Amino acid sequence: MSSTTISGKPAVRRPLTPATARFLMIGMLMAIIVAIGALVADRFLRPANLANVFEQATDLALVALGQSLTVLTGGIDLSVGSLISLLSVLTSGLIDGNGAMVLPVCAGVILLGVLVGTLNGCGVVLLKIHPLIVTLGMGAVLQGVALLYTRSPVGGIPDGFDSIAYGRIGGLSVGGIAVLLIFVAVAVLLRRTATGRAIYAVGDDRHAATLLGLKVRRVTILVYAASGLFSALTAIYLVARFGSGQPYTGADYTLSSVTPVVVGGIVLSGGRGNVLGTLLGAYLLALLNNLLNFLHVPTQIQLVAEGLIIMAAVAVHVEREKRA
Amino acid sequence: MTVKAASGQGFAAGTLNRSSPPLRDHALALLGRYGIYLFFVGFLLLAGLLAPSFFSRSNLSNLILQIVPLAIVACGQALVILVRGLDLSVSSVMATAAVAATSFSGHDADVLPIVLVALAIGVMTGLLNGFLVVRRNVSPFLATLATMIVLQGLRFGWTHGAPSGLMPPLLRVIGSGTWGFVPVNLLVLVAVAVPLATVLHKTTVGRRIMITGGNPLTGRLLGYRTDALTIGAYVVCSMLAAVAGLVLGGYAQIVDNWVGKGFELDSIVAAVLGGFALSGGRGTIGGALAGSAVLVLASNIVLLIGLPIQFQIILKGLVIVFAAACYAKR
Repeated sequence: MSSTTISGKPAVRRPLTPATARFLMIGMLMAIIVAIGALVADRFLRPANLANVFEQATDLALVALGQSLTVLTGGIDLSVGSLISLLSVLTSGLIDGNGAMVLPVCAGVILLGVLVGTLNGCGVVLLKIHPLIVTLGMGAVLQGVALLYTRSPVGGIPDGFDSIAYGRIGGLSVGGIAVLLIFVAVAVLLRRTATGRAIYAVGDDRHAATLLGLKVRRVTILVYAASGLFSALTAIYLVARFGSGQPYTGADYTLSSVTPVVVGGIVLSGGRGNVLGTLLGAYLLALLNNLLNFLHVPTQIQLVAEGLIIMAAVAVHVEREKRA
Repeated sequence: MTVKAASGQGFAAGTLNRSSPPLRDHALALLGRYGIYLFFVGFLLLAGLLAPSFFSRSNLSNLILQIVPLAIVACGQALVILVRGLDLSVSSVMATAAVAATSFSGHDADVLPIVLVALAIGVMTGLLNGFLVVRRNVSPFLATLATMIVLQGLRFGWTHGAPSGLMPPLLRVIGSGTWGFVPVNLLVLVAVAVPLATVLHKTTVGRRIMITGGNPLTGRLLGYRTDALTIGAYVVCSMLAAVAGLVLGGYAQIVDNWVGKGFELDSIVAAVLGGFALSGGRGTIGGALAGSAVLVLASNIVLLIGLPIQFQIILKGLVIVFAAACYAKR
């Protein structure tokens, strides 16, 4: 229902670039949510609550950043959930409360994430299989390995490790600020560097990119490696938040990581969109969940709202079909 | 024996639409088209070698009972993949249909209304998916993801988290009963797959769907109603998912909110294993059936060897990538 009311007034006309239009739309949706929130609960607009929303968005935003990069090249990474699960049990299981192990284990986990991502990329490039299938297969293998390692929450973290999630700088969570900075850095890299432009070129038209002499294969492997990297960071963050790793902790991220990407305006066929949109998308979803919690809306209806937001976001802004 | 019967029918369907590729590609193309059946027979032999009890009647009929729900969904999924789509909402449709079935009194008299309600859920979901994809040009991945989530929410709202109620005895027989040693649900699969394969591989409508998926522009220029065909594919897919939901609900006997969890991705994998290209326009129903069987067999073999159950997922992942790699070169 809400999709029709929104699609009834596509205020977006020619002069606006799609990116601006998308940011405006997310901004409007956020404004609506904030307005409703302010009306129903005075606590909604308190800085503490907004800082809370900022923190809640951290993990989803981080996975979605890697997902954004793969989607920008026209691919997708469905192994992120299992990778997060595996790396989170490895992180807490190997650290096991021992402060001296933190650095080596985190370094190893990040390396492993990049390695798995690289394997995904190689599978896509060398085997010439659809990314969806490669990463799905990889995800199954990783989930199996995670369950072989442990079938219940495992290990623990030393004192101070949880400050990754719960530490505060000026009232804002450390993890949230770090993610914000990472997003800005990636956005700048995408815009300013040759490799960044190549990612867009590959997603827009792979054949043309090849003709331009771009290293299409290298770029493709790079984005999957990056997705593995961000999954690893998410895993470490989640361990810091929950205190231990669980073999299914990442399962929901596989599909939900796509939501902020598309809500933020990155086109699934690749080549168009901005990662800052993904960040806004993640904030929007966190804000929505927060509002629905304030309204005491049961979780099931929250699901419906999330689905409708996806529909609204994608149906309003029609993706232009590209010549295959 | 009955396993072979299931795939043999599809095999025949596959041979009907053989085109003639250039000579040097001929062997490869043949392997690509029939590779899944080799795979399937290979898995059967492997399983038989590993455990002589594999070919016992009870194990075979047990296997078929497990294959059928996936195969039904895979047929629908295959149809959607054929028109360059994907349907992630199938698992949600399955669970919703099963939950709807337990919302009645649990007597056989309600089976007809249950089936009608389930089909109606399927039709509406399929129409919504098709509409979003065709009219609003939403990518199928997203459109069906969104309907999946919405259906989930509605279902949770309806059941308040914990479905109660019984499947009518008739549906339980259909889902888990055997007739002699022939599983009853095999009849459902035959009733679904044979007409589908016939329409797809032997009629002009089937040709049009193939062309619509293979090259939409050509389809449009030829005057086919490509939009209607595409929406139709989504509708049939969701209806089959609803049927599979009833069958699986009858098999499990107890219905929860997650009947069919994992089927959305498994059915895509089964279709891809069976030779359906995600780029559309290629594949046979028989292949999708064999793909489903291979997927279930892979899990069965892990248990036969006595490996830890976690290896089921690992082996499944490896089979997915390996089989897809076999198709990739063409």
